[in-house]
Amino acid sequence: MKPRKAMTLAFFVVLLSIGYFSMHAAPTLSDENYSYHGDTRWQTNVTAAEETAAAEGKPIVVYFWTTWCTYCEDYNREVYADPAVQSELGDFVKVAVNLDDDGSESGRMQREYNINYPPQHVIITPDGEVLVRVNGYAGTEDFLSYLDAAEQRYASGGSI
Amino acid sequence: MNVGTVLLGLAFGAALSGVGILGRAYAAEDDAGVEYVPKLTAAAAVLLVSALLHLTYQFVTTDYSNAYVWENTASYLPLLYRITGVYAANEGSVLLWAAIVSIVAMIAGAVRGISDQHAKLVHGLTLGLVAYFTGMLLAQSPFASIRTAFPGAPPGFVPTSGQGLNALLVDPYMAIHPPVMFISYALLAMPFAIGTAHFVSLFRGNGGVFPTWHGSVTRWLRLSWLFLTAAVALGGLWSYTVLGWGGIWAWDPVETAILIPWLFLTATLHAVTAYEPTGRYRVLAPAMTATAFALVVYTTSVVRSGVFRSVHSFADGGIGAAFLVLMGLTAALGVVLPVTYWLLETDDGDGDGGDDRWLRRANLVHLAVLGFGLLTFVSLWGLSFPLLRNAITGLEVSVEARYYNLWSYPLVLGLLLLLGFYMDYDADGRTRALAGLGVFTAATIVGAFVFPSETWQLASTRPNDALVYELVGSASAASVLPPVAYAILGTVKRTGGRIRAAASRDAKLKETGITLIHVGAALLVLSLPFMYVLAGQASVMATGVGDGSMDTTRQAVPGSDYSVRVLGHSRTEFPQDPAVGTYALSTDQVVRRGSSLNGSVQTVHGTVTDIREGPRATVVQLDGSSVWVGLAGNGTATPATTGERIVARGRLMWNFVPSADAVVLARAETVGPTADPPENVVPTRVVAEGVSLAVYEGDRLRASGIAGQRRYPEQGGMQVRDVVIDRGLVTDTYVIAGVSDGTASITVKQVPFVTLMRVAIVALLLGMSLVALFDPRHGAVTDTAIRAAARDTSPEVAD
Repeated sequence: MKPRKAMTLAFFVVLLSIGYFSMHAAPTLSDENYSYHGDTRWQTNVTAAEETAAAEGKPIVVYFWTTWCTYCEDYNREVYADPAVQSELGDFVKVAVNLDDDGSESGRMQREYNINYPPQHVIITPDGEVLVRVNGYAGTEDFLSYLDAAEQRYASGGSI
Repeated sequence: MNVGTVLLGLAFGAALSGVGILGRAYAAEDDAGVEYVPKLTAAAAVLLVSALLHLTYQFVTTDYSNAYVWENTASYLPLLYRITGVYAANEGSVLLWAAIVSIVAMIAGAVRGISDQHAKLVHGLTLGLVAYFTGMLLAQSPFASIRTAFPGAPPGFVPTSGQGLNALLVDPYMAIHPPVMFISYALLAMPFAIGTAHFVSLFRGNGGVFPTWHGSVTRWLRLSWLFLTAAVALGGLWSYTVLGWGGIWAWDPVETAILIPWLFLTATLHAVTAYEPTGRYRVLAPAMTATAFALVVYTTSVVRSGVFRSVHSFADGGIGAAFLVLMGLTAALGVVLPVTYWLLETDDGDGDGGDDRWLRRANLVHLAVLGFGLLTFVSLWGLSFPLLRNAITGLEVSVEARYYNLWSYPLVLGLLLLLGFYMDYDADGRTRALAGLGVFTAATIVGAFVFPSETWQLASTRPNDALVYELVGSASAASVLPPVAYAILGTVKRTGGRIRAAASRDAKLKETGITLIHVGAALLVLSLPFMYVLAGQASVMATGVGDGSMDTTRQAVPGSDYSVRVLGHSRTEFPQDPAVGTYALSTDQVVRRGSSLNGSVQTVHGTVTDIREGPRATVVQLDGSSVWVGLAGNGTATPATTGERIVARGRLMWNFVPSADAVVLARAETVGPTADPPENVVPTRVVAEGVSLAVYEGDRLRASGIAGQRRYPEQGGMQVRDVVIDRGLVTDTYVIAGVSDGTASITVKQVPFVTLMRVAIVALLLGMSLVALFDPRHGAVTDTAIRAAARDTSPEVAD
């Protein structure tokens, strides 16, 4: 085989390998009902989350995010991947709202809680009363204390 | 129909007639009417430029009867940013693009003429692009009347204030980045036309265009590369100063998109340089030339169609569909046509002339072309596969920065080693060069294991990662040093010899240019990973900022050598004390606009000439005119006296009462003296809040200034950062502050190697300018004489 033909063939082999491997190495962001952040799984259907929360008597963590938000990546990498955060989040119903989603539910949540940039968290009762707001990025320790505060407020039946 | 639409319609007619005449002339090989084509081209160019100037004029004068102007500007913006608004969204940028392509077509037609069959085809294709863009503009016009935005508004309705410009675009870099980018995109129209015409002509049995137009293609490509490089650089510097990331690059879909044509253009330049009419790159060079434009259209579709969401996907909507169709057309002509030719017509696409040696300069250049091809693919695929996967499986996958970083990194190192080897081989021959390659490759591999600190690792690996991610991710950034050194050493050494051997001043300048480009590229590669890997940051909180009770002594920033002194707090609202005429209508204006204002909320101003108190309301006459301000209540709340100049805001009712034309139904808090208008009457467009601070490293003052953010209340509360950057020779000190509720959160970042990156960019731009100007064969300066002489003797080999 002539050298340039061999090189060109090798080029296509490498190209196809990059294509194949990268497609399978990419972490899943969402499927039909859930989106994935770090090692946590968040519901994407707000109504369903509200129903679950009402049935189980749990507060809801609403996470407002976008694919292009660098601090959301930090959340995925630093905060949600942390086992302590994961276990604490087990006491909540988790729902993630993509701010780029044009759907009516996303719009309703953005208006209701006055959200205009990612990342933000609103922890609410099943009735939608705000327990705690987390604006912007919070490190693991801070995030855990926000979750704690929300749980205590919820247990004492109060909201801010 | 308005002036702008008429200009666009005429331009469309001119371009389309030109295409029609050329199409018929080419198909029938009959020159009837061809003499009109240069005139039609010039007409299209003049009309499109006029349309662009007309739109710019509407922006400068904030003519809100045009919906596009209303959507993209506001009168509080300074002149520069009112002009920037012209290309802030789809319609304006397509107009800019169309105007530049038409100028390119006009110049190319004038310089070369459109006498032969090939020239007709090339000119027809370029003019076809102009016609297509103009058609897009007729379908979705930048001159659409405001009634399209407010279909229910009464005839003649014109809003008094504009929506404003996207806050991220209010920056000097962004004022020049889009035009520079569109110039580069428009310049690619010629290589596209020439490449496509080459294959059309081959299929028709007319022989190829490329051998004759090779020099022309080279010049257009170089010029386009020059502008595209400048555009990428300006975009990077913009994100560095405006976004507050402390970085120049974030692998955002839009940023990846512009890199695709840049990488491909670089590959194409190498292929075109090595092109030989009968041998190497007989098919590939024209094919790549034709494809580059299709990639640009793909890129633009990505940014403009709204398919991709991104931090700066500035526009989406209907024009996206037209881009998708154009993408299909250009891909069919620029990609499918050459591939079909290659499959059907060439028995051996290799064209190697039977040379079976592996180690030849031609093969090394081929490897470079393939390497840049792979880099282009990495960017293109990263942009495309999430869409493909979502469409096929319904799963949404994330493409992270490490996808791009980890696949590109080894390719870039490979290309640098190849560059070093090529230069060495050219200067010193086979044995020496192979030994050098061995040494530097070994050093690269060793470098991958050298970790001066944990942060030098390229990426943190995760369990279940693909092998290649683990392998490349765990390598050290030190591995970039040997290839960079090799590439620079090889290039500089070879240049020394070649400059001495060069016959003319122009040849010497060209060699210098080539060296600058390659050294610049190597330095750029050196600066990029370290800018991110070695960046450090630390934060500190300052409380009591709002009420002035903050600590003004030096506070240490935990975890760093920095300390910060907060000196003060500032909160400014723009526009400050605006002239009343910029936000309120005079009584004359109200009367002139008449019933079109009926029912809308308006701000009016005038001198009080009469006050009448009734049982349920008080009415105040302005300027002795038929315009009155109405206030509910029985007189006790009258905020004005006769002779006073007042401003009032409220719903304007036309023919509301028999004795007045217009009554503005205001409330007491929306009426006040012009000299001190009520707060909720004067529009606040920007709220800039920040802290003035001084940052010390040890005892040395490193940076001082105001850091904070600018919020745009009328644009969904959008925010941009005001950062303080101290540009150091080795390291930039980059200060970001978030100020709200009396607290400032201050982050001090160290960003190394930014100066090196700036030097690298200057070297790239300067180098390409030298090559484009002084190349003895295809340079802009030297070539004119050669071309003129050659045309006289043999038009077929003009280049």
